[in-house]
Amino acid sequence: MRWLAPGRAAAALLFAGAAVVPLLSRDSFFLDSVILILLWGSLSAAWNVAGGYAGQVSLGHAAFFGIGAYAAALASARYEQSPWLGLAVGVLLSIVAGALIGYLSNRLKGPYFALSTIAFAEVLKIVASRWRGFTAGSEGIPVPYRPGFWTLGLDHVAWLYLALTLALVCYGLQVYLEKSRVGYRLAGVREDEDAAEALGIATRRLKVAAVMLSAALTAVGGSLWAQYVGFVDPAHVFSIDLSIRFALNSIIGGMGTALGPFLGSVLITMLETYLRATFSGMKAGFSGIYLIIYGTVLILVVRFAPEGVTGLADRVWRRRGAARAEAA
Amino acid sequence: MDPARRLGPAEIDVFAQLAVSTLLLGGIYALIAVGLTLIFGIMRVVNFAHGEYLMLGMYLAFWAFSLLALDPYVVLPASLVIFFVVGLLTYALVMRGVIHASHNVQIFTTVGLSIALQNVALVLWTGDFRVIRPWHSSVVIRLGGTAFNLSQVVAFAVAVALTIGLLLFMRRTHTGRVMRATAQDRDAATLMGIDTDRVYRLTFAIGIACVGAAGALVAPLYATYPQAGLQFVLIAYVVVVLGGLGDMAGALLGSLIVAAVEVAGSYVFGAAWKEVLYFVLFIGVLVFRPAGLFGQRGAETLGA
Repeated sequence: MRWLAPGRAAAALLFAGAAVVPLLSRDSFFLDSVILILLWGSLSAAWNVAGGYAGQVSLGHAAFFGIGAYAAALASARYEQSPWLGLAVGVLLSIVAGALIGYLSNRLKGPYFALSTIAFAEVLKIVASRWRGFTAGSEGIPVPYRPGFWTLGLDHVAWLYLALTLALVCYGLQVYLEKSRVGYRLAGVREDEDAAEALGIATRRLKVAAVMLSAALTAVGGSLWAQYVGFVDPAHVFSIDLSIRFALNSIIGGMGTALGPFLGSVLITMLETYLRATFSGMKAGFSGIYLIIYGTVLILVVRFAPEGVTGLADRVWRRRGAARAEAA
Repeated sequence: MDPARRLGPAEIDVFAQLAVSTLLLGGIYALIAVGLTLIFGIMRVVNFAHGEYLMLGMYLAFWAFSLLALDPYVVLPASLVIFFVVGLLTYALVMRGVIHASHNVQIFTTVGLSIALQNVALVLWTGDFRVIRPWHSSVVIRLGGTAFNLSQVVAFAVAVALTIGLLLFMRRTHTGRVMRATAQDRDAATLMGIDTDRVYRLTFAIGIACVGAAGALVAPLYATYPQAGLQFVLIAYVVVVLGGLGDMAGALLGSLIVAAVEVAGSYVFGAAWKEVLYFVLFIGVLVFRPAGLFGQRGAETLGA
């Protein structure tokens, strides 16, 4: 497949780089950036499973993220159980939700699918803000910090390796989706559903399965994020901004490629950090200026490089290869 | 007195009031939805930035009122013109390049536009909630046991007029026919010598002009802030899908249905849960009748 060897090498470099970071620096700001790059990258990879590989472009993945985040936060804050138990419950609930939305929206294509996923996430947001007795409503839930692995009260270094593990699992799953028979079927469904169906592929089941897998991974990311950040509220964890962010990393990096979401996460996080440093003097306006640039970059990328950075690099790589072949 | 008898007349008033509220709220939703249904129906583009133009329209009315003491209704004709031009510009700068691109590219282009516009407003005018109170927003009209304010009535009247005007424009004029032909079959229209680029440009400009004008009418009724568009645009999508793509009359009817669900829902379940109702309605319609309640022709091509 295209973008194979250099992509794998770049990914290996990226993950190895993240793994040695704690050996080089214990600066908590730096570690925090790496952890967030890995977490957002993993979440975008999870989105990519549905959006990139199965062509089910969702703008409501915050629904699954929020389910995971709330399950973990409620488990540790309300029931004083391990957030890992909450994570497991969140994953199960997300799989059910993913099956439901995948099944219901199955006939919908293009913008209709995106719209129905937005509506789904909005419903969950409203439920989480109104069901005060259970979720504490819009005030949100502060997650208690209890040191230990079982309670997920970890230091930055441990968090980094945990996030790296999740990233590797997500990356591995994507590679599997590229190389395996299932992956080829999925590509068939994405490129031409009618043709795929004519070849005897159970397109419907495959698409729902992809959304379920994507939902489960997103919930894992949500649970870990809730424990890492230590606070959960409906306006953020179910927000459309978050859904856009998952999609955006993948689009900037390259949809339907294993490296894309991580590359996008690195670029966006670096852009965010750089702009934050540049505009920190203009306190009130900062977030606005950052997001104006973010929106503009998105417009420009989908217009001029709809295949993202990996697609762009692929094109350059091929052109160079062709030039070299000509010279030889 | 018999409690049931005491309940009698009050209940009738409640239902009359609910009906009037439905009608007036529906008018506001229709104002926002007609432009959207035009763009969605003819260009087959989901404009996620539609709500941001509403927000900009509200800001225009706000600043005209607070700086120049101009009534939103005076600003209204100017809004139509200004936002027509804004629509032309947006089309030339942003939409034109992606009109033939895939749905994903279009979705994320308008999402990017929405993020950028929201934050331009945030940087320029901060995130404060701005409220204007022109004289007509405090005029209460009482009629047969119901009460409502003048601004709402005007918004409703303009919504109906706008819908009928657009409907006539699409049915009776040559340009309207050309636009409908393009919506039905882009390639065939091109073969018939229609300049589809011009059609899309015009469609987008008219759609944005409508929602910009809607901003002026909504400004006296709702607070203006950078994310003000978001609460309406999701509802507008419910309306557009319910009414059928590009169907003006459907948009008006869809608005009334959504408003009825919202008003009745708030009355029965309390205001907190009303949004859940229309999102559930939305998912239901998308799943069971994606072509809209009236089965608009051509909706299925959207998925192609």
